[in-house]
Amino acid sequence: MECRVLSIQSHVVRGYVGNKSASFPLQVSIVPRRLAAQYTRDYYVIVLDRLAGGERKGHMVLGFEVDSINSVQFSNHTGYSHWKGQVLTADELHVLYEGIKLNNVNHYDYVLTGYTRDTSFLEMVVDIVQELKRANPNLVYVCDPVLGDHGSMNLHPVYKNKVVPVADIITPNQFEAELLTGKNISTEKDAVEVMDLLHKMGPDTVVITSSDLPPRLGDRFLVSFGSQRILMPDGTRTTQRIRIEVPKVDAVFVGTGDLFAAMLLAWTHHYPTDLKTACEKTFSVMHHVIQRTISYAHEMAGPGRRPSPAQLELRMVQSKADIEDPAIVMEATVL
Amino acid sequence: MDCRVLSVQSHVVRGYVGNKSASFPLQVRLNTYDADYLNEVFLLLGYEHWKGQVLTADELQVLYEGIKLNNVNQYDYVLTGYTRDDSFLDMVVDIVQELKRANPNLVYVCDPVLGDNGAMYVPENLLPIYRDKVVPAADIITPNQFEAELLTGRNMSSEKDAVEVMNLLHSMGPDTVVITSSELPSPLGDQYLVALGSQKRVTADGTMVTQQIRMDIPRVDAVFVGTGDLFAAMLLAWTHLHPNDLKMACEKTVSVIYHVIKRTITYAKEVAGPNRRPSPAQLELRMVQSKADIEDPAIVLNALVL
Repeated sequence: MECRVLSIQSHVVRGYVGNKSASFPLQVSIVPRRLAAQYTRDYYVIVLDRLAGGERKGHMVLGFEVDSINSVQFSNHTGYSHWKGQVLTADELHVLYEGIKLNNVNHYDYVLTGYTRDTSFLEMVVDIVQELKRANPNLVYVCDPVLGDHGSMNLHPVYKNKVVPVADIITPNQFEAELLTGKNISTEKDAVEVMDLLHKMGPDTVVITSSDLPPRLGDRFLVSFGSQRILMPDGTRTTQRIRIEVPKVDAVFVGTGDLFAAMLLAWTHHYPTDLKTACEKTFSVMHHVIQRTISYAHEMAGPGRRPSPAQLELRMVQSKADIEDPAIVMEATVL
Repeated sequence: MDCRVLSVQSHVVRGYVGNKSASFPLQVRLNTYDADYLNEVFLLLGYEHWKGQVLTADELQVLYEGIKLNNVNQYDYVLTGYTRDDSFLDMVVDIVQELKRANPNLVYVCDPVLGDNGAMYVPENLLPIYRDKVVPAADIITPNQFEAELLTGRNMSSEKDAVEVMNLLHSMGPDTVVITSSELPSPLGDQYLVALGSQKRVTADGTMVTQQIRMDIPRVDAVFVGTGDLFAAMLLAWTHLHPNDLKMACEKTVSVIYHVIKRTITYAKEVAGPNRRPSPAQLELRMVQSKADIEDPAIVLNALVL
């Protein structure tokens, strides 16, 4: 039983953002095989042989199948001095989806989207997600509602009114969470309320990937939050909320948000009712990739020099082992 | 030290051809590879329906410009495969030549895709471009018998002919030639097909030697798409590890293909059901499922040194 993801993100020739940041990690991820033909995102059947270590045996291990639609093809990300390339229009996106549909292969377990610049493109994405959900009601739509820290204001209503309502898992940062809910976050209590508001809008799983709230571990850390609404076997609903503090790094990385969303997809797939573990694994992967990247970047730049965007490209393929099996380096607190 | 590949091939949303066939295996094979993918086409091939968009030669140049302006146009390898457009192919050659000026040690791995089984499946005007411009710039080529014959103007009816054709191809440029499949009869019987390879190199004491090999590969009764692209990508990886041992590089490469194909055909038959021919969708290469075989293939055949 394979697990198929449709990822609609940017492609860059060089470096790791968008689909480049998502595909390789999802493809190398180890996905436990599920015997149950159907499972809902609320509870599922765990394969016994996974408990017996079966996931390490070659014939039991499957990666995610990642189908990728490239929303743009650029030479590199826009943090470099120069960038050049082509964008996919909403019509062209539709054409590609048509091809998949005509062949009757428009069946997906997940959809993954991230940074998008264009409202009509985003609306076409929503149409596609809705159609895919009609084909597979168990489809999980993982959405990074990228609104950034400065703009794309015309995308905001589309995300708020159309995208987030069809999403199952979202990964906003604090700014995006505030924008979508119209509520500020100054305390942990605010964060919990904002996540509850986001649940009301649609998604059962919300991770606020970073915030300005003061960390307990000191200012070398930043605070993230997660919240997951779960339907218990007895029909009651429960919400697990977590807080996790992650080490800050003194550099600007590009593509980490895309990697985060992809890895949260993978780890919530492993642990659909255990957001604490899913987040610990996801944030740990991020930590290992970032540490490897920053070490390499400093080495390449030389002492006393700020690494360039090229030098700061995520060390993705070099981090394969950490992606497959991350050592857990931080603990989430259940609120 | 990082090894960087520029791969200019098709992209398909679903399935494994072109860059989809090359990227995952190259990235897992050695985690010192970094691979930059320039996608020429976006669609689905081999199915009943396909739709998408094509990159023009101008758009290719624009993308390359972006890389150049950032001063990151340094590559160890270039990898190309199926292309339909003559001006696109010309532009690829220009880019390779410029990259070779930037790094004279760059290795250009080229699958000169022209056709198979006696027929061309690209426009005919690509042949002179491959023959006169692309192959002369290439270091490693992976033609099938038909393509090797077209490029050299010589037929191959015997192993002796094959060796002469490979030598002719060497004289056109590439030091490494692998004829990925042929109609030559295998001594192991008609359940096998014959592939051949030839590598010219200069030994430590300055003499030129040529290693030629033959491989008898078990046939599989199905049509796969993307295996040629996987082959070229894996040959890149394994000749990188074994630059002076074509026998070893080919044994590993062919073994990877074998494992992937076997896993694929088993899965396809299971999904199709008894006595039913699997569909193109069912025959998509089981690429991510073959990760362990890509990383460390069990050798399933021995190449014979001629």
